[in-house]
This record gives sequence, C-alpha cells and structure tokens, in this order.
Amino acid sequence: MNPILESFRQAWKLRSAWWFTATSRTKARFARTLLGSFWLGLSNTLSTAALAAVYSIVFRVKDFNHYIVFLGIGVVVWNSISAAIGSAPSLFEHNSNNVKNLNIHPVFYTLEEWGFQLQTTIQAFLFVFLFLSFFQHSLLINLLLYGLLPMLNLFLFIYWAPVIICILGAKYKDIYQLIPIVLQLVFLLSPILYPKSNLGPIAWIADFNPFYRVLSPVRQAMQDGSISYSSFFVVLLMNLIGLAVALRMLTKHKAQLPFLV
Amino acid sequence: MPTQEFGASQQTNRTPAEVLPAATSRELALSLRDVSLEFPVYSTETRSLKHVLMRSVTGGNLRRQRMGASVLALSEINLQIYHGERVALIGHNGAGKSSFLRLVSGIYEPTSGEFTAYSAVYPMIQKAFLTSPELSGKMAIKGHYLLHNGNLRGFQEFYEDVVNFSGLGDYVRLPVKTYSDGMAARLLFSLLTGLRHDCLALDEGIGAGDSSFYEKAEQRLEEFVRSAGTLLLASHSDQLLHRFCTRGLVFAQGRIVFDGPLADALNHYHESHP
Repeated sequence: MNPILESFRQAWKLRSAWWFTATSRTKARFARTLLGSFWLGLSNTLSTAALAAVYSIVFRVKDFNHYIVFLGIGVVVWNSISAAIGSAPSLFEHNSNNVKNLNIHPVFYTLEEWGFQLQTTIQAFLFVFLFLSFFQHSLLINLLLYGLLPMLNLFLFIYWAPVIICILGAKYKDIYQLIPIVLQLVFLLSPILYPKSNLGPIAWIADFNPFYRVLSPVRQAMQDGSISYSSFFVVLLMNLIGLAVALRMLTKHKAQLPFLV
Repeated sequence: MPTQEFGASQQTNRTPAEVLPAATSRELALSLRDVSLEFPVYSTETRSLKHVLMRSVTGGNLRRQRMGASVLALSEINLQIYHGERVALIGHNGAGKSSFLRLVSGIYEPTSGEFTAYSAVYPMIQKAFLTSPELSGKMAIKGHYLLHNGNLRGFQEFYEDVVNFSGLGDYVRLPVKTYSDGMAARLLFSLLTGLRHDCLALDEGIGAGDSSFYEKAEQRLEEFVRSAGTLLLASHSDQLLHRFCTRGLVFAQGRIVFDGPLADALNHYHESHP
C-alpha cells in the first residue's frame, strides 16, 4: 500500500487511542492544580495584557482596542505553533520505551502529540477569546463566518511541521538545540507584535515566512471579518505538500526509529 | 518488594500436551526467507549536523564514515511457523532471540529477505504503560484497551477482570506513579494477559509482581498462552519451555543453528553450550 495511504489508514484505525492518550496528557498536565486548564488561558491572557500595555506605548498605538485584539490573537496562535514545534525534536525520545517495545505505527505518537497541542490551543484560545471579546464584540461572528478555514490551515500546519522536525530531531541531536534559537529568531522577525507595514521595505520577508502565512489569515479573519481565498488556497497547498512530505519521511524512517531513540 | 519473572525458578508437573491444544492445522502463521536484520549503531559522527554538513562539502573524503557501525543481529533466517505451533526460542543472551521476537512482531523491519506475517503478532514485551504515570491505573487500563480494540465495547468487563486479578482495588484510581514496583508490575501483567491474541511473541522477562502474586499469575499466564493461536516464547528456563512449547529453535550469533522438536533442540543447545 502507498505509504501515505497506509499512514492515514493507521491514523484512522488508532484514532480512539491517540485521542484518548492526548486527552490523558492534557488531564495529567493539570492534575492536582487548583485551576486546571484555566491556568493555560490565564497565562495567555496575562501575556497579552502585559505585552499590549508595553508595546502600545513602544509603537505609539492610537487605537488600543484594535491593537490588543491584534496582539492577543497573534500571541495565542504563535504560542500554539511555537509549542508544537518546540516539543517536536524530543517526541520519539519521550516515547522511546514504547517505540522499542510496541508494534504501533509511529503516526500514533505524532497524532497523540498533535491531539495534545490541539487541545492546548483550543483551551488557551477560548479564554483569550472571551477576554478579547470585551474589546471587539464581533469576534465570535467573525470566527464563525470567516475564521474556520484559516483555523483548518493552522491545525494542519501544527501537524506536519512538527512531524518533519521530530524525525530530524530523532536523527540529528543538534536539532533539539537549534529549534529554540530558530523559534526565537522567527518570532522577532515575524509581524506578530507589530503590523506587517512596520517592516517597511523588507515587508516582503513576511510573505516567505510560513509561520506568518499561517498566523496572519487567522488574525485577519477574526479581527477584520474577511478572508482572502487565494491566500487560503496557497497555504492549503503548502500544507498538503508538507503533509505528504512529512508522512513520506515518517514511513521512510519508520524502520530506523527503534534504533534512534 | 522484589518482583519475579516467569521461568526464574518455578516447577511444573504438566506437559504441553496436557495444557495446550495441539497444532491442528498447517495454515502458515509466519514465513521468513533469507531474512537478515542489521542494527545501525548511531554515533556522534552520524548524528551531528556538523558532520553531515562537512560531508556535503568534503565529498568522498569523509563518506566512508557515513553509515557508522552496525551489528548483524539476525542472519539469513529461513523459517516457517504454522498456526497453532508452540515455538521455543533458545539461546544465550545476545544470540538473537529478542531481536527475532521484535522482528516478527513488526517492531523491527528486516534489512534484507522476505518476511510475511499471516496473522498479527502481539509482542508481549511491553515494559511501560501507554499513558502518563501522572494518571490513574484506570486510565492506563483504558488506554491499553482502546489501543487494541479501537472502542470501549466490553471495556467494563475487561476493567473489572484487570482490577480483580491485579488486586489493586481502590488503588486503581490513584496515579500510577504512586504505585510500588510490585503494584505496577501486577497491573501491567494483568493488562497484558487480559486480552486474547492470535499470535503471541513472549519474553520470559515479563514481570509478575511480588511473590504472593506469582502463583496466581502463573495460572493466568498458562490460560493466556493456551488461548493464543500461535506462541513464540523466548526463555532460558527448560522447565518453562517444556511446559508450553513443542518445537525449539536454537539461536547462536544471530543464526538459527537448530530447528526441531523441543527435546532435541534443548539437547543440541546444552551439548553445544555445556
């Protein structure tokens, strides 16, 4: 069977198990904490509030309400991408006992991680969303009318990009050290805290930044209530190619994994 | 409390003919033709981006180091195992038994040759739970059940069986990380032996918890093994092998050096390794 189709078949067959273990991880993360997953939303909200307070002065923002929504959505989406990419290099290392002793297709571990990141994103997003709705009341309607397709692209991106990194991370030990540095640089170079226009003559860099190409449409849809279908299809195409590459790499390195971890 | 492993020291009075069904059909379960398995041994050389980049600019000078070392774990294995057979894997540590178990259960893939599994082989070499130690024993049971069944139909019955047999009682609701080694081993053993499998790849190293649990566990293992269609059992214990197996494969340096009736296989092994 085609390796990509085989990965899909395994993903479907094991869907209850990987979703369950992902949910278990989410529960374990906040086990015996006072506020549970509320902490996640709270930390994102506090970051948004603090960053908005500081950078609205730094960038001499005229419309604070607009800026805090712009920044809040950007921070939550960036945190999701960053968490998914940041945890990827050690994914198979963390599952080494099961990789060596269970005959589960490795797509299981990648989907469990994806499920966990998805749940984390949604939890963080809901809380921040409520907070930002005080500043812009149309957020919910914009999300429902325009936000779902860009969100689909975001969720696809946080699957395939970490899969490629976790395979490279299993293979090359440097990746684990390299990823935090790259994430930091990308964060600083991406118009997340500031509008793209602030980049002036080098604004074109953002167009070639895959992180920003995924993040920006989500923000645009929710804040401006609009969607660029051409941009959506370009990102969707990038995601489909990325997904195919990631699954092909996973299949190619499947036999090596027990020896790499 | 120390845990015990099967085959370590226990006696048996029953023969496989008494406790196990005979291989009733000649339907193939596993087929291996010229199968070899090579382990890559990854070093700093092979896992460093710096060296990869260096190789790309220096061309052939460093290329010979590219693959690093490798170990030939299994070599030219030719074998057919039929449904219902009870096969003992015999050999010293490092002879290839565990690699063979992992290969036939799909954890390892052959480097060369042709391997076909006509039925799913379940590797009973799991040493940890699928879920986080932060979570309760109940969640660990649920995760294991979902992995093998894909849904929760019949879960309650399985859950009660595992809880009753492991003797964990209300402790099953506590995080696994709070269990003693013995309790964790009892839960893992109860989980692994709670479902039926068509073809079983079993290592004697499976833990059974503390000594008071051991006797009860032996009986359960016997029933579990009896329920499996085909058995592959790696062990250093003649008693255990006599109890469950009828055919023996002797491994030495990754090769099968003898394949035949169990008694003859054990004789061959003991004569060549006095």
